[in-house]
Amino acid sequence: MKNKVYILGGAQTDFERNWTKEGKTMLALLKEVTADGLVSAGLSFDDIRGLNQDNRVACFVGNFIAEKYTEQGHLGAFLTEVNPAFYGVPSARYEAACASGSVAIDAAQTKIQVGDYDVAVVIGWELMKTVDSKAGGDFLGRAAFYDKESKGIDLPFPKLFGRLADETIKKYGLDETRYMDALAQIAVINYANAKRNPLAQTRKWFMSAEQAKLRGTDTNPYVGGRLAVSDCSQVTDGAAVVVLATEKFVRERQIKDKPILKGYGHRVAPMLFDKKMKEAQDSAYILPWTRQAVLDAYRRSDLSVDDIDVFETHDCFTSSEYAAISAFGLTEPGREYEAVESGWIAFDGQKAINPSGGLIGCGHPVGASGVRMFLDLYKQVTGTAGSYQIKGAQNAIMLNIGGSATTNYVFVVGREGRVVV
Amino acid sequence: MMNICTVTVIGATGTMGANVAGIFASFGNARVYCIGRDIEKVKRTIPRIVKSVRADAIASKLIPADFSEMDSCVAKSDLVFESTAEDIEVKMEIAQKVGKALKKTAISCTGTSGLCITSLAEYYPEDVRSHFFGVHMFNPPYSMPLCELTPTIYSDLELFGELRHYLSEILFRTVVEVKDSPAFLGNRIGFQFINEALQYADRYKDNGGIDYIDAILGSFTGRTMAPLTTSDFVGLDVHKAIVDNIYQNTCDYAHKTFLLPDFFQKLIVNKMLGRKTGGGLYQLVHYDNGLKRQTVYDINTGMYRDVIPYVFPFADKMKRYLSEGDYVKAFDCLVHNHSQEAEICLSFLLKYIVYSLYATEEVGYTIDAADDVMAAGFNWCPPLAMYQALSTVAEVPALISERLPEIDAIIDIDRLLTGIKPSKYDYRLYFRSGR
Repeated sequence: MKNKVYILGGAQTDFERNWTKEGKTMLALLKEVTADGLVSAGLSFDDIRGLNQDNRVACFVGNFIAEKYTEQGHLGAFLTEVNPAFYGVPSARYEAACASGSVAIDAAQTKIQVGDYDVAVVIGWELMKTVDSKAGGDFLGRAAFYDKESKGIDLPFPKLFGRLADETIKKYGLDETRYMDALAQIAVINYANAKRNPLAQTRKWFMSAEQAKLRGTDTNPYVGGRLAVSDCSQVTDGAAVVVLATEKFVRERQIKDKPILKGYGHRVAPMLFDKKMKEAQDSAYILPWTRQAVLDAYRRSDLSVDDIDVFETHDCFTSSEYAAISAFGLTEPGREYEAVESGWIAFDGQKAINPSGGLIGCGHPVGASGVRMFLDLYKQVTGTAGSYQIKGAQNAIMLNIGGSATTNYVFVVGREGRVVV
Repeated sequence: MMNICTVTVIGATGTMGANVAGIFASFGNARVYCIGRDIEKVKRTIPRIVKSVRADAIASKLIPADFSEMDSCVAKSDLVFESTAEDIEVKMEIAQKVGKALKKTAISCTGTSGLCITSLAEYYPEDVRSHFFGVHMFNPPYSMPLCELTPTIYSDLELFGELRHYLSEILFRTVVEVKDSPAFLGNRIGFQFINEALQYADRYKDNGGIDYIDAILGSFTGRTMAPLTTSDFVGLDVHKAIVDNIYQNTCDYAHKTFLLPDFFQKLIVNKMLGRKTGGGLYQLVHYDNGLKRQTVYDINTGMYRDVIPYVFPFADKMKRYLSEGDYVKAFDCLVHNHSQEAEICLSFLLKYIVYSLYATEEVGYTIDAADDVMAAGFNWCPPLAMYQALSTVAEVPALISERLPEIDAIIDIDRLLTGIKPSKYDYRLYFRSGR
């Protein structure tokens, strides 16, 4: 029988920080976030030592491409530099482009479910400000089919998600202005939400509907087809930690009121964007495998969209959040604009998406984003999200994607048992 | 709730005036009349304002005007923000004009940090005097959200509450209520530190002076920029105006630390006012081939020379530890190293804690005020966070008595430290591994 997977807590770094400007290395980033994450989970480095004596703890590191950004690989083992308490602790790095954090969580939850370990420390991180945006854009191009979609192309990803915007308009015969205005509104909501999040990268920045619609100006230039800077997530330095545990551990330590992982979905779509679109011709959804990953997570958690109070999605671009709306089941495919226009997905709406600010507002350190989202689900369902708390949240879902919606990861986190009204 | 649709900024071509206009037009979504003496100069300033908040969307909300249009602009405004030169004559005249044209429901603010707000209020007609407040922002306000808010004895307190709400909730400012005291709180604390650093540069001129002290108090001590580099950046004239004002109008235990050394006065007389004039405490020399060289004013010779790449073992170690996130080890180096440089460094950080707590009692209302002003106005590790940082390796009260005997003798440190509490700011991000 599978074990329940409890979430004990976690932490994220302040995504406004530029670690290169602070003169700090990846080691500093990892030391800070690990220390904070363990404190939040009620654990100490001595606890890790103690658990490790009986082989009860393991570490799972999510990172996309530190080999490029910081010239460092072997990132699981690297934790031994963070603290000697990690000597001997099983640890490895997991990679699935921008979904690296999620694949690390997935590996961790699997080990907890089967009871191999009682505590799993998941660390997602990326330092991206070590290079300029052109070089960084090229590194990220490796999340696509580099030779065919990225090589020699300036900022390949904005262009791919610009094409997603084109294809969305085409597939559903949308009114262009209506669609682009919905994308602008998605950006505005994410920026507005980030203002409530004390760890969000853009919390001091200005954005308005007017500014988001003024694409093609000096302060909002086009970056990929019809998408402008305001439609993009950020280049971010950051890390996030979550700590998972078995029911045995939770009982042993008499830990109360911790949420559980209720279900997951993991589906991989064709690598090439063209093949994705070709395959999607037969589906009502523009990203059918993204939708399928959501359906898998609903099925495994025995929940439906009606049960979900908070959504965290992968708004690497406004066009990806747009597609996520129907993938979550919030609207029919092709009618996503309704959820945007009606204010349904805004902070005070019925189905808030990205109360954290998402990748556009909170920031997108690629290898950390999956873990950061998972941490935000934890905060929301435990009522510890502070100024960006969605009142009474019981269940929350996240969608983390890698590449051009190639790897699709979905997790549902919630309080144990159903609330009977 | 306060509804501010139209704003007039008087003195909109100045650095602060322009940047504040950008804040009202962006976050405040207000139509802003930008008033300057020369309408052409105002027009040229508009793109700079747009750039300051990175938003072309505000361009259409910025309306250039000159002083001849001031009355009509003010009459249409819900809020007037005066940001002219720190000259009582100029501000008095503007106060009288604004007072006459101001709507009875509107608010008038001054951005001054050098003049008494209450005295300025007295130039307003009685019927609008209660609508006048001090609203002191820091530069650049887009990234430095501090706003020191000062009511006067005449102020309508209900309106004051609404203004406070507008500034914090609509304009996203870190609002700190301060008393009508010279230079308010942020500059009082910040320039005590900077000016004493300047005095130390003079005292240690044989060791190098300016660059010597900046190397001791660099970004690894909890700030973005070393203190004398900050003075050079702010402008020597502005620095002088701030410390002279404090020196002349306050009297506390640190009174003498607000005196300017002679060499600094000399630089001002010679119009070497800092970065804005191409030279001051430092001078960046540009060569025809595009190369640049940073030079520094040598107090002994009165000439600019190359900056000395000082290597102090304590600082070197601290930077290495900080770069790998070993904060406790870094602070341990500072506290347990007894070189002249480490002792100067630590004494400054301790004096900073003590003076911040002392000044916040006099000028602010809560102990958090000192933290807010230094974090949001200077981007320095705020005093409570600094206390926490040093507490990781030492008993700070004992350290203060040991390292600051002269201050310990005249100030009741124990009483001052009774209100100490954990900071809401994270000290780690302020201690940088760099010069």
